[in-house]
Amino acid sequence: MIKSLLFKNQEKRQLVIAVFGALLGITFLISSVHYLNKINEYGEDSEILGRNTLILQKKVTSASSLSLTKTDFSEKEILRMKIEPFVEDVKPVVSNNFRVWFETNDPYVPTFKSDVFIQAVSKDFLDVKSDKWNWNEGEKFVPMIMPRDFLVMLNTFMNSSGIPQVSDELAMKLKFRLRISDGQKEEWVDTRIIGFTNEIASILVPENFMEYATKKFANGDPGKITQIMVAGKEGEFGKLENYMLEHGLESKNSQVVVSRLKSIIGTLFAVILVISIVAVFASGLVLIQYMQLLLSHNKYEVRTLLRLGMHPKTITYSFFRYFIAVFSIVLTFGFILFLVLKYFVDEIFQTGGIYLSYSISTFALITILVTFVIFAFASFRTANKEVLSLFNR
Amino acid sequence: MKIEFRKVLPKPLEDIAHSKESLWNSNVVFESGKRILLNASSGKGKTTFVHTLMGMRTDFSGEILIDNKNTKSLHVNQWVELRQRKISVVYQDLQLFPQLTVEENLKLKAEFTGVFYTELALQHIEFLGLKEKWNQKCGILSMGQLQRVAIVRALIQPFEWLVMDEPFSHLDLANAELCLQLIEKRCKELSAGFILTTLNARDNASVDYEVKL
Repeated sequence: MIKSLLFKNQEKRQLVIAVFGALLGITFLISSVHYLNKINEYGEDSEILGRNTLILQKKVTSASSLSLTKTDFSEKEILRMKIEPFVEDVKPVVSNNFRVWFETNDPYVPTFKSDVFIQAVSKDFLDVKSDKWNWNEGEKFVPMIMPRDFLVMLNTFMNSSGIPQVSDELAMKLKFRLRISDGQKEEWVDTRIIGFTNEIASILVPENFMEYATKKFANGDPGKITQIMVAGKEGEFGKLENYMLEHGLESKNSQVVVSRLKSIIGTLFAVILVISIVAVFASGLVLIQYMQLLLSHNKYEVRTLLRLGMHPKTITYSFFRYFIAVFSIVLTFGFILFLVLKYFVDEIFQTGGIYLSYSISTFALITILVTFVIFAFASFRTANKEVLSLFNR
Repeated sequence: MKIEFRKVLPKPLEDIAHSKESLWNSNVVFESGKRILLNASSGKGKTTFVHTLMGMRTDFSGEILIDNKNTKSLHVNQWVELRQRKISVVYQDLQLFPQLTVEENLKLKAEFTGVFYTELALQHIEFLGLKEKWNQKCGILSMGQLQRVAIVRALIQPFEWLVMDEPFSHLDLANAELCLQLIEKRCKELSAGFILTTLNARDNASVDYEVKL
């Protein structure tokens, strides 16, 4: 009976408009948070380089071939780049300045030998667990990260030797060793593959090992720095790309493409996110205003019930429950709409060659929860304030 | 339950001259269980009295004490308790819901007090000649009929004081007499007192004393 009294004077058209606005806002809010998160995560698991990280080198031109311009980086150049606002960190990629051979050292695998090129980068740039990526003098194995192309080459060799090809997992179990030499003395060190990468063309070893080998086989001379690692700030890839163009720097093409793609799509969804927040905020406000209007239209009923002795909290909860039910319906339908939208957007991404994981982003679910909590808080406060204002009148 | 008015003067009545016997700006005690008549002409503050007593107006100087507690310091919960179980009121504007039937209006309060005497409500309605109106919407009843419904609603809740603001203004003498009989009977049953505000000397209620406004 009380419910029919409190909700009889309704201007349903305004409610429908507010609900429709909130529905669209919520759908786009969930979608933009979901895709912003997915785009940021894209490519993270499969690679060992950290987020927004590029390996840069100077473009080799006719002038540099004729030794008119340098292709190595000076300390000044590195420092200058470090202070750019869109740069998170810059560190040199240290290359070997001594001879290195890589060879199999496993009784189950025929001997395979090759001259190789090894590099060391600061572990701050790598997405590998630090306890795995460590070496100290005297330790049995040197961990290394192999370029995936190297595994392809190894498998070609295995195939031609009539031996079954090896998977990533199996390759990580095989024993290998590195032979290091300065032309006069040489040393063998056992090594194990701990991961593969598509981003770097050389074999990566820990910095400690590179320092040890440089000291022993290159008289401590690390050689020229021809590559640097740069970590750009989130969403500012465009600025880094401009900087690269202006300073004649280049990176492995796929890295640039992925980063550019992430930057563009990320910006697009960030814009949609801002619009969605405004839309949800505005429609939430309209719903709250509708509550005030409803209370104002039913002022006589509310005031009379209060005069008769009804507790203000009971009336507050009646309005609160009604609007929470409305908003819950909006959130549920918004989520369903998001799932429908997700199906089509994922298809579009897949057609473009971007395979995002199908799971729903945790951030999207948190967004739903946070939106609900904010609305619940605002609607309770409004109802409570309005009802109490009628209590002593 | 003792009600005390200490030098109470509502803002809208500040510019009006009040006699020495007037309740306003004086110390007046409403002793528990007494039958009191508040007789005054229009504009002297009868409705203001009800509203200040029930906490609907706070724009007054002085103090109103209910069982020695200042009404201005009462918590919402205490007001709810007073309105639900201690002081029952027949408002001048009746405060009925026109879209509800007589029965629904009487039962409404039970939804939040949990107390409803169906038999008693029916007896009272029948006694006041409104039996056939039981299922009719209040919106179609006359003012006199509505006043009787409002009186019955006030009587069927638990109370220690019954405060009535010109409850018989639309009733003929016979009906007013019936209402008074019912009020006196119910107050006796509950050992409750009543305060009756009127501008009509013909409301011949049997009272313990009269307070002027």
